[in-house]
Amino acid sequence: MAVAACSRTLEQEYGIPTAPVSTFEFANVVAGDRRFHGIPLRFIYTPHPVVGMPPSVLRGYIEGKDPATQRTVVDEVVEALTKPVTEDEFVGDFTPPSRAGVRQALLEPDTEDNLQRLFYERGWTDGLPIILPTEERVAAMLSGTNRAPDEVVGEIFLHDTQEYLSFTVEMVAIVGVMAGARAEHLPVLLAIASTGQPSIPGSTTPFACMLVVNGPIRNEIGMNSGVGAFSPRNLANSVIGRAWTLLTINWGYMRLKKQFWTSQGNPIGYNNMCVAENEERSPWEPFHVQKGFQAAESTVSLFRGWSFVNNVVGSSHRTVGEDMFIQLGALPGLYSAATLILDPLVARHLKENEGYRTKLDFSRWISQNFKMPAGQFWGTDLIHMMMAPLAEQGVEPYASWKKLPADTLIAPYDKPENINIVVVGGETSPMWKVADFAYSMSASVDKWRAKPATDECADGSCGLPDEP
Amino acid sequence: MATLLRSAVLNPEGYRTVRPAGDGGNGKSHSFSSLAPRLDSIEGKTVYLIDTGFGGSGKFLDQLQAWFAERMPSVKTVRRRKTGNIFRDDTKDLWVEVKERGQAAILGVVG
Repeated sequence: MAVAACSRTLEQEYGIPTAPVSTFEFANVVAGDRRFHGIPLRFIYTPHPVVGMPPSVLRGYIEGKDPATQRTVVDEVVEALTKPVTEDEFVGDFTPPSRAGVRQALLEPDTEDNLQRLFYERGWTDGLPIILPTEERVAAMLSGTNRAPDEVVGEIFLHDTQEYLSFTVEMVAIVGVMAGARAEHLPVLLAIASTGQPSIPGSTTPFACMLVVNGPIRNEIGMNSGVGAFSPRNLANSVIGRAWTLLTINWGYMRLKKQFWTSQGNPIGYNNMCVAENEERSPWEPFHVQKGFQAAESTVSLFRGWSFVNNVVGSSHRTVGEDMFIQLGALPGLYSAATLILDPLVARHLKENEGYRTKLDFSRWISQNFKMPAGQFWGTDLIHMMMAPLAEQGVEPYASWKKLPADTLIAPYDKPENINIVVVGGETSPMWKVADFAYSMSASVDKWRAKPATDECADGSCGLPDEP
Repeated sequence: MATLLRSAVLNPEGYRTVRPAGDGGNGKSHSFSSLAPRLDSIEGKTVYLIDTGFGGSGKFLDQLQAWFAERMPSVKTVRRRKTGNIFRDDTKDLWVEVKERGQAAILGVVG
């Protein structure tokens, strides 16, 4: 919590008395911070929210009551800076919460219905029924890797308890069973888990994530990169994507108002746009090769943002690029990040008819030619939050952009390497999606395998059930 | 009862190993001296109003600055935006400035 951390630094290292202010919505976060750090910062609370409120409302907050104490906010501000510090402020509960401790490894025997209810009520699911992780099923799942069940796969930071939680191969296998995954999916799940990245980060914003699998394992496990690859039909795409969220839930990231804050949420979290790249039909090098992996390696690549826009019926009145510019205009352009998900028809058109020899060629063209008014860019709260400090520090081009009149056009995607391109689709129509997703990282799948790569399915659309 | 009981179902939270972040946090600064000495009064003092960058914070602090100008005009307020990342305690330059030129700071707003 940055306001608390900055206040502590000012108090302790610079000897400056502080009055940190929070909306009341985050009072329990402040309380957790107090317990963890053992420092009773003199927080003052306003009603919630502050964002979007007109000046008259904000003035009302200042002259009105702190919802926690029913005292006048501005009086508390002055008192926080002037009332002598007393020992009494250091009395109270300073014991931080913890997720530590060995719990019961096996649940009490019960009926299927009661156990399903238990899993839901304990907050271990995404709300949908799960496959109960019996010892037998988990043992079968573990046959999908050559790693020991107790090997630590990674760890993840829990904001509410300020701890790192370690998770083992067995814990990932349990979640894999719950998601409906098969043993052959486990190496992909372990690769995802090894990143320590939650699919639903702790934020009030509607974060969304995407998961792209590259390399031979796509076809070995029957992932769909072709017709309807993002649609709910293919087993591997569905359960792998779901498992990432179930991992996130069981890491503790969905504890209401402890790690889970998103005001509206995002339905992408049900399976995180889990898909395979259609390497066979793409005219360009696969995404994982762009990131330094060998083509024969299998990887997962993770992306994070908030939104995507579908092209709906192709592009016959404008060029693909012109249509994309309209869509990019609805996205913030944070750190120059965008992800373009192109049907192979679109990718091949761009290469064969428009001359973009590589993905990066097209990203460079987007970077150089897409323009947005400076006022639109800086007027986006997300940009103001994250990038205005760069401008104030003199980092270019942001410092120069900040000085421009609002209607002056800028090219906000100034880093073409941050414009990602992934080829997915079944070539029934030249479609694409434009997302504000930033690339997070890629992880090797192969090191988690039980056995080396084997057969491939060449048409890029394996895994779909046969038509009746 | 004919309903089959499921046994040997594993607890997804069965074995949890955690380690505290950093140096453990708890109690590390849990003492009387962990807050700075307070001012006798803020009258005539310079108070920094530091916008940490969350949406609406700047406008809230604008109103607070206006309130001081109207109700406590002897207080000199300085409005600044926190430098560095909004989510990190990575500021140095501004804290040095506050120490050199100010006597107190109001930070916000979380939320």
